Order: sequence, then C-alpha cells, then structure tokens
Amino acid sequence: MNKNDKLIVSPAPHVHDKTTVKNVMWNVVLALVPALIFATYYWGLRALLLSLTGAVTAVVCEAIIQKLRKVPITVNDGSAFLTGLLLAFNIHAGAPIWLPIIGAVFAITVGKQVFGGLGNNPVNPALLGRAFLMASWPTHMTGGWVAVKGAAMSGINNLSHIATNLEQLSPKAYELVTSATPLNVAKSLRDSSFIAEINAQAGGIDLGGRIFTGLTEMETLKSLFWGNIGGCIGEVSVFALLLGAAYLLYKNIIEWRIPLFFIGTVFVLSFIFGGLPGSGTSVMLPFFHIFSGGLMLGAFFMATDYTTTPLTKQGRIIFGIGCGLLTIVIRLVGGYPEGVSYSILFMNVMTPLIDRLTRPKAFGRVKK
Amino acid sequence: MKYYLKLGFILFVFCAIASGILAYINTLTAPVIAERKAREEEETRNSLIPNADFEQKVTDQGMIYYVAKDPAKDELLGYTFIAADVGYSSTVQTMVGVDPEFEVLGIQVVDQAETPGLGANCTSPSFASQFSGMSINDLYVDKDGGEVASLSGATITSRCITNSLRESILDVQDEDQIGGEQ
Amino acid sequence: MTFIKELTKGLIKDNPIFVLVLGLCPTLAVTTSVINALGMGSAATFVLLCSNIIISMIKGITPSKIRIPVYIVVIASFVTIVDMVMAAYLPDLHKSLGLFIPLIVVNCIILGRAEAFASKNNVIMSIADAIGMGLGFTLSLTLIATFREILGAGTWLGMRVTPMSYDPMLIAILAPGAFITLGFLMALMNMIKEKK
Repeated sequence: MNKNDKLIVSPAPHVHDKTTVKNVMWNVVLALVPALIFATYYWGLRALLLSLTGAVTAVVCEAIIQKLRKVPITVNDGSAFLTGLLLAFNIHAGAPIWLPIIGAVFAITVGKQVFGGLGNNPVNPALLGRAFLMASWPTHMTGGWVAVKGAAMSGINNLSHIATNLEQLSPKAYELVTSATPLNVAKSLRDSSFIAEINAQAGGIDLGGRIFTGLTEMETLKSLFWGNIGGCIGEVSVFALLLGAAYLLYKNIIEWRIPLFFIGTVFVLSFIFGGLPGSGTSVMLPFFHIFSGGLMLGAFFMATDYTTTPLTKQGRIIFGIGCGLLTIVIRLVGGYPEGVSYSILFMNVMTPLIDRLTRPKAFGRVKK
Repeated sequence: MKYYLKLGFILFVFCAIASGILAYINTLTAPVIAERKAREEEETRNSLIPNADFEQKVTDQGMIYYVAKDPAKDELLGYTFIAADVGYSSTVQTMVGVDPEFEVLGIQVVDQAETPGLGANCTSPSFASQFSGMSINDLYVDKDGGEVASLSGATITSRCITNSLRESILDVQDEDQIGGEQ
Repeated sequence: MTFIKELTKGLIKDNPIFVLVLGLCPTLAVTTSVINALGMGSAATFVLLCSNIIISMIKGITPSKIRIPVYIVVIASFVTIVDMVMAAYLPDLHKSLGLFIPLIVVNCIILGRAEAFASKNNVIMSIADAIGMGLGFTLSLTLIATFREILGAGTWLGMRVTPMSYDPMLIAILAPGAFITLGFLMALMNMIKEKK
C-alpha cells in the first residue's frame, strides 16, 4: 500500500459502478434506433419528423421548467429525450404534427416535473402523455391510420384466398377488414353482432371466422414480425424492437423478469381465452397477440423504467403478470382494441404497494 | 330520559316546520313542473310530426306511444314514442316519429347524461338528422354494417340510440299489427 | 369594519375551495361549463345565506346535542326548495346540474360555515360570512370552469372564443381535467400567497 493513501471513511454504498443516468438513458435511445429506422423506411420521413419533434419538444420543455424551478438543468442526461421519443412512438404516422408537441409538454410538466423531476414521477411520463392525448383527441389518435408501403393495413395482405367474395361485403365491412390495425380488426370480429352481419352478407359462409383465422396465418404473423402493418410509429416491427431489447439485456440495462412475465402472461391468456366466441382457439393466436400492438415496445422499453417499477425480484414478477393480465382483459373484454399502455400505467400506480408487499426481511431476522 | 324526550321533541318541531314549508312550496311548483314537462313533450311530438292530432296508447309491455292522425282527413300520419336504452354513462331517451310504413321521420334526444364532448354530441342536429328516412333494416351503426354514422369516439352512445330505436319501432310495429287484425 | 372583513375573507384569504378545500365534489363535477358553475355557485350561495341566517337565529334555542341534525334539516329544506323552484322555472339549468343540486345538502362548505361561524355569531355577521363564502365559492367555480370550458369545448358561456380550427382538448371537460385544473390553480394560489 502506498504511503500517501489515506483511509477513506464514508457511508454506504461502497461498491461503485460506471452506470450513470446519462449512460442508461442514451443507451435506451440507441436501442430504439432500429425501430425508428424501420418506421422511417415504412412510413417515410414523416415518422422520423414526428419522433424527433416529440423528443426535442420534451428536452426544450424540461429545460424551461428546470430554469423556472431554479434547479440544475439536466436535459443532457437524455431522460427527457427518451420520454419525448417514446411518446411519439405511441402516435401513428398520419397524426398532425402538434400532437407529439402537446403530448410531450404534458408528459414532461404534469407527468414528471410537477412531482419533482426524474426519479420522483409515480407513473411513466411518456405513457401518461399518451393517455392524455388519447382522452383529449381520440379522433386524431385512433383515426386516419396510414398504410405502410405496398400492404393492406391490417396485415391481411392475402385477402383473396381468405374469401373470394369479399367484394360483395357492404363497403363498411370491407373497409374494416382491409384497414386500420390488426387489433382493431380482431376487436370488431369479437363483436358477435358484427360477425353475424358479415356472415349473412357473405351468403351464410363463416366469413368472420375465416377472417379471424386469417389474422393468425403465417403470412400475417410474418408481416407483424417484420413490420408490414398499420400501427403506431414505434410498434411497426417486432424484429427491430427485439434487436434493441437484446442490446439492452446484453448491456444489463433492463432486467429480464418484467418483459418475460408480461409477454408470457399475454401469451398464455390469449391462448386460453383469445378465440372467437363459439369457436375454438388456434395455436397461432398467442403469436398474433404478442406480435401485434404495442406489446413489445411496452414490455421492453416502458415497463422496465427504473423509477416506476418494483425494486425486488418477486415484485417485478408480480408487476409483469399484472401488466399481462390487464392487457388481455382490455384487449378481449374492454372498450379499446389495445391495452398495453393502460395496463402499465395501472401497475405503475400499484408499484409502491408491490414494493411494500415484497420487502425483503432484514438479515438475521426471523420471518413473522 | 325526560331530557332525551325533550331533545326528540325539539327536533320533531324543527322537522315539522320544515316539512310544512316544503309541502307548501311543492304545491306551488309541482303543477308548473308537470305542465312544463307535458308541454315540452308535446312540442317535441309536434316537431316530429307536424299538424297532427295525437292519441295516447299503451302496448302490452306497458310502453306508451302516440298515434298521429291528420285532424282534417282522419288519415294515419304515423306514430311517436320514446325509445330508451342504457348508453355509456346514462339512460338515453330518444323521442322518435315514424310514418305508417315505420320509416323514421325524425328523432330527438330528450334526456341523456353522456360524456360531454363525445357522447353528449348525440343531441346535435347533424347526428339526429341522418336518421330521417331510415327503415328498420338501416338502423345499425356503421361498425355493425348499417347506415348510421356513429359519433366519433362515441360508438357506444350511437349504438345505444340506434338499437333502442330499432327495438322500440319493432315493438310498436308488432302492437300495430295485432291491433290491425282485431 | 369587521363586517367588511367577514365579507371579503371568502374571496382570497379563506377561499372555500383553494384554501379551505371544502366542497370539492360539486367543484370537480359541475365545472364543465361556466353556466353550470354560475348556476351551482348561486344555488349554493342561496342555500348558504338562508341556512346561515336561520341557524344564527335559532342558535339560542338549539340544544348542542342535536345541533347537527337540526342544521341538516334546515339545510336540506332550503336545498329542496332550490331544487323544486329550479325544476319549475329554470329547467335547462336543472337538467345540466342534475344530481348535484340535491348534493348541496352534503356540501361541506354549508355545514362547515353553520358549525364554525353561524352558530357562534349574530345574524348580521352570519349574512356577511355567507355572502363572502358564497361569492368565493362561485368565483372559484367560475375560474375553474373558464379554463375547462375554453380548453375543452372552445367556448366561454356558450360563445365561441377560439378560432374554428381549434380542436378542443376533450380531457379538460372530462373528470381528469377537473383534477388537473384544480391542482394547477391551487399551486398558483399558494405561489401568490407565499410571495405576499
């Protein structure tokens, strides 16, 4: 030991790591880049423009508020950028440009800074921003989906072999089958009165059932996986999101428990309950449910936020299962086609309770 | 014991005075309220089927409906009645006028407490006017493959109104056919 | 002098909503439009005024053990009167305020003022207190409703005040909007008070 070394006395923690907020946040942004590239490829520069608008607005907004609050300005740690980017990923590419701007401002002010900034927010700010936009402008958030290049929006691009007489359907039914997002189609098809209607128009054959089966065919699942479907900017391609997720898992930035239990719960429950009323379920159906909508984006990038998820391992398992359960309940029973964002928000609010329930006992103490 | 009886008696006196005052005010306002309600219903009926005499009838299920007749020629002009169903956050009551062939002449939402800005838009003229001229088979919202363009963001309210109209028209139609055979 | 003080304290210093935080149920529920806020405010002010007068008059003859039931009887009677008169002569307002008229009975402001003020002071002071509190309540409701109606419907008192291209922010007139608006206004109020 060197003579000049002094004995340093300090309180815990004694083990330090190179992980910093800045490091973590920019790595998550990096992990989202593949999804952004895919989105830009499929929807053109508008998707990129909307995403960057959201991110830049969030950064500017955070800087202004921190200036007003007279606290150190920490916008270069990337957390505001990430919030804005994730928020924009929840908007579809046909949305007006002011939507991500207002959403990002709301997410940063009400979702984060009101509670005292990074680390004090009870729920994920990006998801809160999305819920706000959803309640305020439902028509802009759910209407006017844009089709990706060269594909039917719902991903059923092999319509002709599902039903040759599809053109005889009422224009509205036809529009539904070929437009919007796969989850919208699945939701409408679960409405039995609608199914009866289109079956009647198709001359008594079980067309509704066949369209439903069409959703789970290999071709459709492939489109969902590579990103050939309608949807929000961030949920275009499962492949791109998995690429980013793998990077984060490798870097040890996110932990595997929440995503695994989240997606696993959705998988199992959709296999048991996901079929059409009155007809059997398909082995492919769980794949449809985990590949569609914002599940991958939510499970890997939003449900793993440090501030708003439980600290303990058991807590994270409960969190993941709870998210999966709520997602499936909303998708199959609730009023919206997609429920990932609301389920994560709900479980965010539950987090303090879960942490309390799963608090580890102090070393050496006997369990009551 | 005596003390508590006294307390009870004082409270009783207060209540008695209060209920006396309320009873008096009720006798003043109740007729005004009833008259206003009747007049509103009549105005709505007249706007749906103008220049007609209305005769009140009751179906077997206890639903009240009105038969509209031309006072001059004693000719059947149609029927009006209130269709009600549970919407998103309230019971939506819609008064509807139909012609003798049971095609919708017009509708007017008379009572609702749906979400402001979404379901509450069902009272707007642009939503109501599209129903004119529809027959029973058209009375499905567009998502169910029908002709009714639902309010944006308020499919549940639109569907509730449309379905309640369809069902009550069917009720009155049944009643009318039974009445016709007799 | 004290009369003026009692009259004005409800506006800022003891504002029933932003400072005392009383009567939040109607505050959150009916502030979807300015006209509803004014209707609710004036109905509650009327009930508050009448009940304050009566309660300060009967304070000598009410045994303290049954004072709360007696207050409730007085308040409920006036609420029922307001309800019936409004249904008869202002049916549109009555329809839009709906259930919240009968709920004035349990509005904490009214019972709170009866218990904390009218039962200890004379009639004149109680009138001043009722008017001050009622005005404070009405103005606070109107302030909240102004933000909510302009943002959520693009109108103020039913008149269009925003350009036609403005796309109303629906959340402002839904339930969450009430909480968010109230929170921001309370923060603003605290900021003003702290500066003083």
